[in-house]
Amino acid sequence: MASRSQLLKGVLDACVMAVVEAEPVYGYELSQKLQQIGLPDISDGTIYPVLLRLQKNGFIKGEMRPSASGPNRKYYFLTDNGKEELEEISEEWRQIAAPVSELLKRGGIQ
Amino acid sequence: MRMTDELIEQNNNKREDLSEENLAVYEDFLVYVRTDLRIDEHASEEVLMDLLDHLLEGQQYGKSAAEVFGSNPKAYADELIENLPHEKKRSSALFAISQVAGMAGWFSLTYGVINLLISLFKPVETDVSLGHLLSLLIVITGIGFVGVVLFFKIIRSTLFKPKKKPLSGYVTAGLAGGGAFAVMMLAVILIPEFGPVISIEWWMYTIGGLLLLAASKIFSGFSRK
Repeated sequence: MASRSQLLKGVLDACVMAVVEAEPVYGYELSQKLQQIGLPDISDGTIYPVLLRLQKNGFIKGEMRPSASGPNRKYYFLTDNGKEELEEISEEWRQIAAPVSELLKRGGIQ
Repeated sequence: MRMTDELIEQNNNKREDLSEENLAVYEDFLVYVRTDLRIDEHASEEVLMDLLDHLLEGQQYGKSAAEVFGSNPKAYADELIENLPHEKKRSSALFAISQVAGMAGWFSLTYGVINLLISLFKPVETDVSLGHLLSLLIVITGIGFVGVVLFFKIIRSTLFKPKKKPLSGYVTAGLAGGGAFAVMMLAVILIPEFGPVISIEWWMYTIGGLLLLAASKIFSGFSRK
């Protein structure tokens, strides 16, 4: 269980950046989108330490904007650095995703 | 109004819309984050506002604070704090100075008023040696620093408990405050007179106290810029 959550933690930063890249979102929206995508074990609060870390590293930035539901909300945007980082992570992911999936199908090894 | 103050005021207003159960968890969380002096105040107020908005929106769909903060809210708060930018050292030092000036101010003001009351009945000794005064200042500064740290520690120790005993927290804090004041009074009596002697009337203590309190307010303002 612990190793599974570690695995998720490793890719969560990239998932958050990918959602933010598609469209600026505020915290609640972001957590809903991640759950809708089907990522398991993401409790609502999980995203905030990630958002803080990504801000600290300069990959995303927050800006107050009026939300659809009325009051101002802090929307998150991907920065240029964030775009580069996401590109790099995506490339690394592409390189390992297919072989790892193949391997974990079992029986695939001759 | 400063941005951070605006956030704090918004937080105060919005918090009223939380359900009783969610409010209890959120307020513990808020106090825990706010009493951590290592982190940047504006950044922590921003994330507190994000979480409050999140709770309010989730509440509409029947979500509880436990679903947002997880089963161990303290560990979750620590994880957030770890990822928050650290307060500049200058701000922490100014905050500490403002607290000590505030404490010395109240002390001086009280001492002045006590002297005034005593002077109504009998003549008050106004001569005080500079050595005595300086030693007293050092004692007050020391108690001030220890007091602030201890006070925040007591507050934090009362948070995230399933069965709250807020009274015991208040009693401990009250005793600590009273104890600190008693130590200062004892210092006045026990520290011997030495060095050049000057005369300080009750009104000088009162004015000095007011000046120190004003300085405390100014330093506190600077520490939050």
